Amino acid sequence: MAEKLLTRYNDTPGSHTLNFYRSVNGYQALEKALGMTADAVIDEVKKSNLRGRGGAGFPTGMKWSFMPKAPVDANGVAKPKYLVCNADEGEPGTFKDRLLLTQHPHMLIEGMIIAGHAIGASRGYIYVRGEFVRETQRLEAAVAEARAAGYLGSQVMGRPWSFDICVYRGAGAYICGEETALLNSLEGKRGEPRLKPPFPAQVGAFGMPTCVNNVETFCAVPTIITDGAAKFAAIGTERSGGTRLFCVSGHIEKPGVYELPINITLRDLIAHCGGVRGGRKLKAVIPGGASAPMLSAEEIDVAMDFDSLAKAGTMAGSGGVIVIDETACIVEVAARLLKFYEHESCGQCSQCREGSHWLARMFQRIEEGGGTDADLDMIAGICSNMAGQTICAFADAVTGPALSSVRKFRAEFEAHVRQGCCPLKPADYVPSAHIKHHASARL
Amino acid sequence: MTKPKITFDGQTFEFEPGDTIMRAAERAAIDQGIPRFCYHPGLPVAGTCRMCTVEVEKAPKLMTACSTPASDGMVIHTQSERVRKSRAGVMEFLLLNHPLDCPVCDQAGECSLQDYNYEYGPSTSRFQEDKRVWVEASTKKLSDRLTLNMNRCIHCERCVRFTEDVTKTHELLMENRGWKKELMTADDLGVFNEYQGNIADICPVGAITFNDFRFKKRVWFLKPKPSLCDGCARGCSIFADEEKNVVQRYRARRNDQVNGHWICDAGRVSYHTYSDPQRVVQPLLRGLAQSAPQATTWETLITWLLREMNQAKRVLLLIGTDASSEEAANLMQILPSLTRGELVIRSWNGTGEGVQSSGDDAPVDKILRRRDQTPNTRGIEQLGLHPLAARDGDFDVALFFRSGRATLPAQKLAAFEIAWGVFNQSESARFAAVLPGLSTLEKAGSYTNCEGLVQTFEAAVKSHGHAASVKKILDGMRTMMKAHPETAEREVARDFV
Repeated sequence: MAEKLLTRYNDTPGSHTLNFYRSVNGYQALEKALGMTADAVIDEVKKSNLRGRGGAGFPTGMKWSFMPKAPVDANGVAKPKYLVCNADEGEPGTFKDRLLLTQHPHMLIEGMIIAGHAIGASRGYIYVRGEFVRETQRLEAAVAEARAAGYLGSQVMGRPWSFDICVYRGAGAYICGEETALLNSLEGKRGEPRLKPPFPAQVGAFGMPTCVNNVETFCAVPTIITDGAAKFAAIGTERSGGTRLFCVSGHIEKPGVYELPINITLRDLIAHCGGVRGGRKLKAVIPGGASAPMLSAEEIDVAMDFDSLAKAGTMAGSGGVIVIDETACIVEVAARLLKFYEHESCGQCSQCREGSHWLARMFQRIEEGGGTDADLDMIAGICSNMAGQTICAFADAVTGPALSSVRKFRAEFEAHVRQGCCPLKPADYVPSAHIKHHASARL
Repeated sequence: MTKPKITFDGQTFEFEPGDTIMRAAERAAIDQGIPRFCYHPGLPVAGTCRMCTVEVEKAPKLMTACSTPASDGMVIHTQSERVRKSRAGVMEFLLLNHPLDCPVCDQAGECSLQDYNYEYGPSTSRFQEDKRVWVEASTKKLSDRLTLNMNRCIHCERCVRFTEDVTKTHELLMENRGWKKELMTADDLGVFNEYQGNIADICPVGAITFNDFRFKKRVWFLKPKPSLCDGCARGCSIFADEEKNVVQRYRARRNDQVNGHWICDAGRVSYHTYSDPQRVVQPLLRGLAQSAPQATTWETLITWLLREMNQAKRVLLLIGTDASSEEAANLMQILPSLTRGELVIRSWNGTGEGVQSSGDDAPVDKILRRRDQTPNTRGIEQLGLHPLAARDGDFDVALFFRSGRATLPAQKLAAFEIAWGVFNQSESARFAAVLPGLSTLEKAGSYTNCEGLVQTFEAAVKSHGHAASVKKILDGMRTMMKAHPETAEREVARDFV
């Protein structure tokens, strides 16, 4: 297996401290980057073929180059530019950013300072998921260490450039992982995605040009600068460079975060993690977090990079690989995922607010044995009225599990309809409280 | 420079740079073909209901007309199959949890949900689950003026944006997420701005209703009559909705020069003055030993009035600044010929803590309301009238003309005080006679508002009871003078004061 770039010192005690980070050549990439022009840094990142690790896989260097060079307001006064780190890791099945925040906060900070230099930002914000209390504390301690050491502040490493980082903890909403909802939340508003255009590069945080990147994306920057773009690009595919942190969970022998080349196949990845738990038969895999359409057991000979998975009709998303074996009921899996989306829709757009609710309740009814053939035929129609019709991609995400489960495992759904119950549950099965959420629609 | 062009359904129109597709459609007057819930021309764009999507050639996705900037050469299809399918989808989603209680809903007949579903929506529902039901919020007081039925809400958030952007009072907000998203008032303080009626107006469904109109009339019986609000010097454009000659409510009528899309609550309920059962709509005259004037005939009253005016040495004609310019001019022109003594003509306002002239007027807030609560102070001033002052001296007879807005002067104006215009029973007691006149709703004329804009209006309803126009009464007086020049000496009024 290829060399680890980000998680080499995972298991070393104290890996989160400045002392340790310096001892493994930490902040040397920053030193080097500050000696380069901003355009040279952006060029280097472009050449590395680094693509955003948050889910959409947008080329990072290109995103940075979209930032206006010297923005001014209507009165001709220069506007500040902001850099935002999206650490609102909420995609079900994803837990890589948490590892980076806990074990390698200085790598993130260094990556952000380099990015700040590249886009000419005056301030960085790290928007941390609301539930990450200890992660936030560790991050804040690391920011304080970096500030004391002169990496942040009014003169970054003695140079005439002021850049500081502010850590902001969200209030626990999945939708705030969507970059414009994140910006609204950062400003103290309701976490609801914004209409685009204008894009954050024009009107972002507090109305200023803003660049938003994922934790893992920033963490990849120091190694690109230190070791050169060529080395990073050589690891992945032609259009997508480097290693990726895969979060493998579910029915797998050795669940965890694995740093592997981005183009590893799903079959190899599962094998690398010890195979399906207890040697059981694989039923399905969700390859990129809950929003990614499921793949059946026959479809796992696919590379995990953005383009290959898109070609296979799913997506690389956040790198959350959820392995589902033969003992699981796909209807229940889908119902549980849809319950999550029903709970997390921000409720702005008609289709998403009502559709996520409708699908969640319908899937739960089917799982409990109350479904009909007409329901199964209807699902695709409901999904087509949702996908691509709303402000953000949440509605599309809802249709991921709903559509793929019915398309690929229709027989299982039909069995529920025919038998009037879940065929995989024992007769005396009592659904747990979190599933019995639909007892009443009275508020 | 030539203006950019946009094509809607095969017809090309010009638009202004910076327009959205919706604004361009409004300019071309074809915006009614684009359904909308969250979009309102007087509010910031939200783009959330997704009902106004249109097909833009060369764009892969359907675009919301309200938020997408128009560009030169854009080709738009507002009724294509794709567009109609998307709209049908939105309608289906919005009706999933809607109670469909149209038979008892005040909005029925002017409900966007009804209209658009008839146009675009499915005729049956595929929804098999239990409907979401807000038990407590099914009838919730947002204030003493507004009632919320959350079950009917379609979450367009026009109301929230109204309190954020128009009144800037921020009382309304959404709590919770997704399907549990619920309209609340901030800190449970209720809605307290002075423009709440507009919230009911802009609610596209029956979720927020204005208590003054709640359960009062089915709207399809109402005829909207364009009129002017005479509640203050602003002179907002309104619709007076009437049925069988009775005005049931006021609504704002868009007028970008004056009031935009809004009217204030005080103006909105001001129609009650005219339908007040206590309003005097019969000629009244006080007899000997009577403490209040009693009903009489126009003939008796006018004969008496002519005699009094002819016998008086000094007569005051006090014209309220709520008189229309035409009424005031008419009075100023004709009355001098009907009196032998000295006739002094002055104006009277008295509203809003002693406003008498337009110089005393000022805005009450940053939106519409003015201190001067009469509609025509400027117009009366333009006729050369000055407010009544102490130096004007004593009078034998005072005629006080007003249209229901100017206050009653606290001081007794003369030995004989005669009221002319819109008064109610309790106000009539101090007067020797009352000549019932017409309210703004019942007459045509013009007012000059606080900004000097002359606005004409037509009668919305026919006059109440025996109330008569100024012109008709003056004509009657002149006819009687011609037919009986000796009227002044006749003693028909012996039984009266």
